[in-house]
Amino acid sequence: MQQREEKQLESALDSIIQRVNDLKQSIASMIFKIENEYETINWPSFLDNYALISGQLTTLTKVLSHDKCPVLRNLTVLPLMLSPERDEQLAQLTEHRVTTFAHDLCPDYLRTKLEPVAENKMLQLETKALGLQYDNAQKQIATYQKVISHVWDIVSKAREEWESESSSRGNTQQNSSVADTHLLVAAVGMGKGLKMGPNPNGQTNPTSGGMMVTPGRAGGPPGPGQMPPTTQAMSMNKAPAGIKTNIKSAAQMHPYGR
Amino acid sequence: MSLPGNAMDSLSAALKCNIIPNQEYLLQGSVLDQYVEVLLHRLRGLCDNVDSGPESFHDHEICFSLRIPNTAASTPMPMSIFSLRVRRALDVSDTPYQLRYIGQQELGDKNRPTVVRSSIDMACSSTILEFLTELGCRIEFEYIARGYMFRKGRMKITVSKIFKMGGNKPESVEPISQSYLVELSVLAPSGQDAIGEDMRIFAEQLRPLVQLEKIDYKRLGNIM
Repeated sequence: MQQREEKQLESALDSIIQRVNDLKQSIASMIFKIENEYETINWPSFLDNYALISGQLTTLTKVLSHDKCPVLRNLTVLPLMLSPERDEQLAQLTEHRVTTFAHDLCPDYLRTKLEPVAENKMLQLETKALGLQYDNAQKQIATYQKVISHVWDIVSKAREEWESESSSRGNTQQNSSVADTHLLVAAVGMGKGLKMGPNPNGQTNPTSGGMMVTPGRAGGPPGPGQMPPTTQAMSMNKAPAGIKTNIKSAAQMHPYGR
Repeated sequence: MSLPGNAMDSLSAALKCNIIPNQEYLLQGSVLDQYVEVLLHRLRGLCDNVDSGPESFHDHEICFSLRIPNTAASTPMPMSIFSLRVRRALDVSDTPYQLRYIGQQELGDKNRPTVVRSSIDMACSSTILEFLTELGCRIEFEYIARGYMFRKGRMKITVSKIFKMGGNKPESVEPISQSYLVELSVLAPSGQDAIGEDMRIFAEQLRPLVQLEKIDYKRLGNIM
């Protein structure tokens, strides 16, 4: 009978130790990540780590509350000897975290109850919770639910808006037009649409007379390729009234004048 | 008399050493008028000149061409056309004119992220127009570009509206399309192809607002 219980205890302790070790490892890796990769770590991987730890805590709780697990509460650990000397074996066991088994550390490590301060606080909260009226509690719950559902509404509305916006942007919103790009590039690069059609000589006419008159030339004799092509272009493409204004403005005001 | 020779020597030495930024790496695209504010906002965030805000410009550009008869019988074209561009600021009165030569664009293969073309520009006085006319250059076309300029490292980004000259008054200009022309360019000495990669990455950040691409002028000639 006793032997069976001992065996059970041993196997339970083994599985608990294993779970605790797992937990310890994942906490260590999380700490390592936070300390060393805090510049590159992103939220998803951080939350993954967190979820791993929380899952391991759940398994540990399950193991502890399992039927086959002996009631550990009924077992006591007694410190037989305290010593201020450094204990090499202990240090090795605890990965150099605990080097002495002395009176100041022992109560913390063998604690089975909460610290008195924390225990007091817990007690206070528990009495407060017990003393609460049923109606009051219902009211508070209702208020909380209201607040939470309000927040939920806001979040889901924002999400809806965001999703519809992103989907519309992906599908319909057109910010540029290929035809316009080609038109503009051809115009700037080759003068497409900016020059008059080529005349029979295969030479192109300038678009306007006024803008290209150089300083000091406006009143003088027309230079080669200046006035003659202009008048030619105008007489070909514009009404006679256009000539008049053109000549006038060319003579009177030209943008290159200082 | 030895000075011009020296100048030529140092120029050719500089050319040999590849320190003259005579290659333009270029990507082009456009954005519709109603989204230009969004683009400007994004560029303000991405580019270097954040504090001063975007630099605006209002320029007039004239493209001159010079036809040189080809004497060599082997060439297929009877004339070779050589074009030069003159640009002047309309909004600032005391800036020099800019004379610019742009060479044939090289598209390269798929792996090359940008168009590359040789480009030489220099400042000059307003008499350049007269000078070019006397040389026998003719005005090919002209336009007005008005917009904003941004800088990001060596990269230059311009967002500009292109206007056609209407008549001869500077006010009576009309936009040629409902979009703004967007250009991303870098002037660098030849052989610095790494900058193309930077430009590709930057262009990626402007998507899908603007599709900055290598645009083949020869294909455009067929389309339009």
